[in-house]
Amino acid sequence: MADPIHTVDPAAQAGMAYPTAPLANVEQAEAAVAAGARPEDYEVALKSLNQWQLAWRRYRRHRLALVGAVILAIMAFLAIFGPIIWPYDPLDLHRIPGPQGIAPNLTEPFGTDNGGRSVFKLVVNGARLSMLIGMGTMAIAVTFGVAVGAISGYFGGLLDNVLMRFVDIMLTIPFLFVILVAARFFGAGDPIILIIIFGVLSWPGLARLVRALFLSLREQEFVQAARAVGVGHLRIAFRHMLPNAIGPIVVSATLLVANAIILEAFVSFLNFGLKSQDISWGNALARSQATLVLGNWWWPFFPGMAIALTVIAINFMGDGLRDALDPRARE
Amino acid sequence: MTKFIIRRLLGLLPLLFGVLLISFILMKWAPGGPQAALAGNKSITQAEITQWLRRWCLQRETTPISVLQEFGGWLGVLNCDKDGLQAFTSDQGGLNFLPRALGGGDNGILHGDLGLGIRAGRPVLSLITERMPATLVLTTTALILWVSVAILAGLYAAVNRYSLFDQGLTFFSYVFYSLPTFWLGLMLIFAFAVRLDLLPTSGMITVRQWSPFNTPQYWAQFWNLDDPRHGPLAAIVDVGRHLILPVITLVAVNIAADSRFVRASMLEALGQDYVRTARAKGLASRVVVGKHAFRNAMLPVVTNVALEIPFLFSGAIVTETIFTWPGMGRLFIESVNARDYFVLMGLFLVTAVIVLIANLAADVLYAIVDPRIRYD
Repeated sequence: MADPIHTVDPAAQAGMAYPTAPLANVEQAEAAVAAGARPEDYEVALKSLNQWQLAWRRYRRHRLALVGAVILAIMAFLAIFGPIIWPYDPLDLHRIPGPQGIAPNLTEPFGTDNGGRSVFKLVVNGARLSMLIGMGTMAIAVTFGVAVGAISGYFGGLLDNVLMRFVDIMLTIPFLFVILVAARFFGAGDPIILIIIFGVLSWPGLARLVRALFLSLREQEFVQAARAVGVGHLRIAFRHMLPNAIGPIVVSATLLVANAIILEAFVSFLNFGLKSQDISWGNALARSQATLVLGNWWWPFFPGMAIALTVIAINFMGDGLRDALDPRARE
Repeated sequence: MTKFIIRRLLGLLPLLFGVLLISFILMKWAPGGPQAALAGNKSITQAEITQWLRRWCLQRETTPISVLQEFGGWLGVLNCDKDGLQAFTSDQGGLNFLPRALGGGDNGILHGDLGLGIRAGRPVLSLITERMPATLVLTTTALILWVSVAILAGLYAAVNRYSLFDQGLTFFSYVFYSLPTFWLGLMLIFAFAVRLDLLPTSGMITVRQWSPFNTPQYWAQFWNLDDPRHGPLAAIVDVGRHLILPVITLVAVNIAADSRFVRASMLEALGQDYVRTARAKGLASRVVVGKHAFRNAMLPVVTNVALEIPFLFSGAIVTETIFTWPGMGRLFIESVNARDYFVLMGLFLVTAVIVLIANLAADVLYAIVDPRIRYD
């Protein structure tokens, strides 16, 4: 493949790795080459990119990941502004032809529930809480997971042994059992408590991953060099090693968001989660089963599709990030 | 091999102990407690409650020490009638955790006593065993369907890479993997039970025709060969019809994830040198794929499936709720709602044991599938 960058970049030809790879003004160079100029004749100004800019370049090439990002952006927009544009009022009841509500039509694109309330507004308003729970869980789980995994992998020894046995135990207990017991016993009707329960119980998998990464990073030369010049433990672990482990962590974090959104749906569906006046996608689904036998498929269908679409988008983004943040995937 | 299994079993015991200890602490840590739950049941007298609390070492106030004491009582290591270090000895004078015949005590799970279900007023063991067959019917059918479909689909997709089937499988596994399973259950109920009216919406048996599952009356009907409406064959057909939707709901996600996993693993095996050698020798494609590649591709799949078995039981909670399936999952939900501590601990015990046996089975299967592993 004719690559104008490498022809003007002897260092890259020689296989030298840059901490931040230089980048020519690619579009101009490519255009010139396409127009018939010989690549080595084309003079370009070098501009350096940092890690994140490089990652973004790789991410952009991943078409599904871009689709995912767009869908998620729309969902985020709905989560922030949706409730303002289409506010949901539980008392906004309408006359309905039968006990199953109104089927989807032009004025009510998603139909209505058994009280004549718009399912569309329900879905739009549910986005906010579902996304918040996803993000909140991720934040807590990443904090715990990275801290435990980093300490365990960096120090090793007895501490590592104790922490990892604990992680083993946490990963052995059927997850939903513990979640449900905790949700009922600690009162998960409050979204904050629900987030804390999810977050505190979701970190062990990530901790195991971070530990494995740190175990291999610990043996590398740059860590030994840092230790030789007397850098402190905390600084080595979090300034030197953590940035090198950031790729897999970010990917896991996206999956944690997706899992938490699904988990919220499970917990709320079983009536162990949010109170009925709080609207989330899971909660929207929870009350729909009772009248399903009457044939109102639209009530559970659209909140479920909202969950599926969001989770698919996040998973696509995770795939894109996996490729984009892999330090070996430099072109 | 026997030695290996025994050694692995001994290694799993600390893990089981840890799982039970953490579950116990979680439950005791929560506000309320067995005392409050017992006080709520009007059919139990105050004297019975006092005797009950005494027997299980249940303390008035929960402190870190008291939780460990109560856990010891639940396990059957401690004799709650005695104080201090004396608590480790039974009323016979021997160590309390030993079997009764060897001078041990008679309390706790080590002596086969799982406690009393507060809500039902009956022993936990009988509560669980009467619900277990329904869950096992559901989960084993699901497991068989899951493993066979995932392997066949993944295999076919790997051999016919980038075919329409392969791409369709990729698409569907992405979609299913992103769905909350119960939503799929709701849609299946709507499509097949409500709209098409082909399958029952819920339950495990046809109520008009059969007594509730796993009651003596049910088994009498089950073995009744004279009545054309009953008998083993009719029973299996009836339960089978009720099984279809719950099983699909339960394993759709696992099939989606694992068929992709099988596909990836198979593709890797097909790219190995020994596969090329086998092809170069002129072996039939069926032999190359089925024997050389397949056996090696199955190694990671076996481990993966065994490690996902716990999720089958988590999934059963939701599936049983949607389809009102009379199994342990619903017992769990009912018991959490009623704060029925001993039933919950019993269920934790049963699932933890099943999970650990699944882990052990994964190791053993791995040894069978992979001839390179020797366990001497």
